[in-house]
Amino acid sequence: MRAITYFVREAFISLWRGRRSTTLSIVTIAAAVLVLGGFLLITSNLQRVIARWSESAELSVYLRDGISPEEQAAVDRLLADSALVTAREYVSKDDAVGRFREDFPDLAAAAAVLSDNPFPASIEVRLKAGDTSGEALEQLARRLARAPGVSDVRYDRQWIERAAGAIALVQWAGFVLAAILIVAAGLTVANVVRLALYARQDEIEIQQLVGAPLAYIRGPFVMEGILQGGAGAILAALLLHAGYVVAHARFARIASSAIDASLVQFLPASHVALLILGGMVVGCAGGLVAARSVR
Amino acid sequence: MIEAEGVSKRYERGVYALRDLAIRIGKGEFAFLTGPSGAGKSTFLRLLLRQELPSEGRLTVAGRHLDRLTPAQVQTYRRGVGFVFQDFKLIPRKTVFENITLVPRVLGVSPVQQQRRTFQVLKWVGLQHRMNSYPLELSGGEQQRIAIARALVNEPMLILADEPTGNLDPDLSLEIMNLFREINAGGTTVLVATHDRELIRRVGRRAITLDHGRVVEV
Repeated sequence: MRAITYFVREAFISLWRGRRSTTLSIVTIAAAVLVLGGFLLITSNLQRVIARWSESAELSVYLRDGISPEEQAAVDRLLADSALVTAREYVSKDDAVGRFREDFPDLAAAAAVLSDNPFPASIEVRLKAGDTSGEALEQLARRLARAPGVSDVRYDRQWIERAAGAIALVQWAGFVLAAILIVAAGLTVANVVRLALYARQDEIEIQQLVGAPLAYIRGPFVMEGILQGGAGAILAALLLHAGYVVAHARFARIASSAIDASLVQFLPASHVALLILGGMVVGCAGGLVAARSVR
Repeated sequence: MIEAEGVSKRYERGVYALRDLAIRIGKGEFAFLTGPSGAGKSTFLRLLLRQELPSEGRLTVAGRHLDRLTPAQVQTYRRGVGFVFQDFKLIPRKTVFENITLVPRVLGVSPVQQQRRTFQVLKWVGLQHRMNSYPLELSGGEQQRIAIARALVNEPMLILADEPTGNLDPDLSLEIMNLFREINAGGTTVLVATHDRELIRRVGRRAITLDHGRVVEV
């Protein structure tokens, strides 16, 4: 415990003494963690939105205006018998126009001037979560499309899965970019710690001559790296949160027509803690690389 | 305490700093290592501090073969050796007190013991009133006394001094030598490297003379 206190105190003194290079190092770490955290924040929110869309992925079966009760019952039976369907809801022509007015209030007046209701009645089918994009779904869609009284069948699972794939790709690209930046940040920390090491060469020499344990000599430098990494990561987390708050305040209303605003969230505390821990680990690695030169 | 048998130190391109050295210094002895510049005095002290290894021969201190020590054993060995250099090697950004406490602190001595020992050695060299000063605020003689206090604070079995009076006037040099004599009187082995023949004469202890890396007079 005494050694840790000594490491922390010496590290703080050294960081303060080399505050210019320390600032550079902290900013570099912060930039790397900010990129990583930014990608995590964006992609985790997109994934949540996609997951919600995926859960509510629907098969819309549009019915002809003159569909008979028997034809409608047959369509309903087709859906009821399918294992892919978890729920279904009949949307009448009136319901459809009502939804249009609700979703697009600016165009509501235009809909009112029409003499006939142009919106078809439909059955909105909720599909089972999971892999329902395959042949079974295609088959069901084909059978529904052929059924008398059905004018069209549309389903959106495929594009949702494509979007999810694209997000995963973006996430990986983000990880690769962040990994490159993190290596650069680690090297910056190593160089800054190395500068501190040169500045204290006289003290190190004395410590070596009196037989100080290597861990005791290297400890303050490794701690210096950890503190730089931690400070950089905390700075990144604060910037990320500030960015999130600003973006949320500015874009939440605009986006609310397309997505459920409650789905957009900041990174969970565990992720933030991991980012800070990651920054400290990178700093520690940089400190270790530099301190290894003391033998 | 110190036994050198056939010790040589050869650097690159075959240049010998020490050649076939045979030296014995007994436990509790006070001896000088003398000779002109380039004779090999400092090289021999570096071997004794285990900063370098002999190229040939066997060097033992208190029964330890210095060339066979593992890094951890080197650390243990050095804890029993005090050192004093011509340029004092004090850390300018630390106070006198901190410069001395550094030694027991890195060896894991408790804070209370660190302070007690530091104050004791400072008192012994007569500089307890300068404990909060910085090295550069002190005279050369005072700085060397602080360096001696630092060498003593761990109660070493052996003190090695490399030209400890090289930057001091004759009176101060004798004062420093008297400190070494007192240390030696307490049972600590002292080996002082100096080229100052007059000082050796005044102190009156055994001198081992080196020239071109060889012992020429014991």
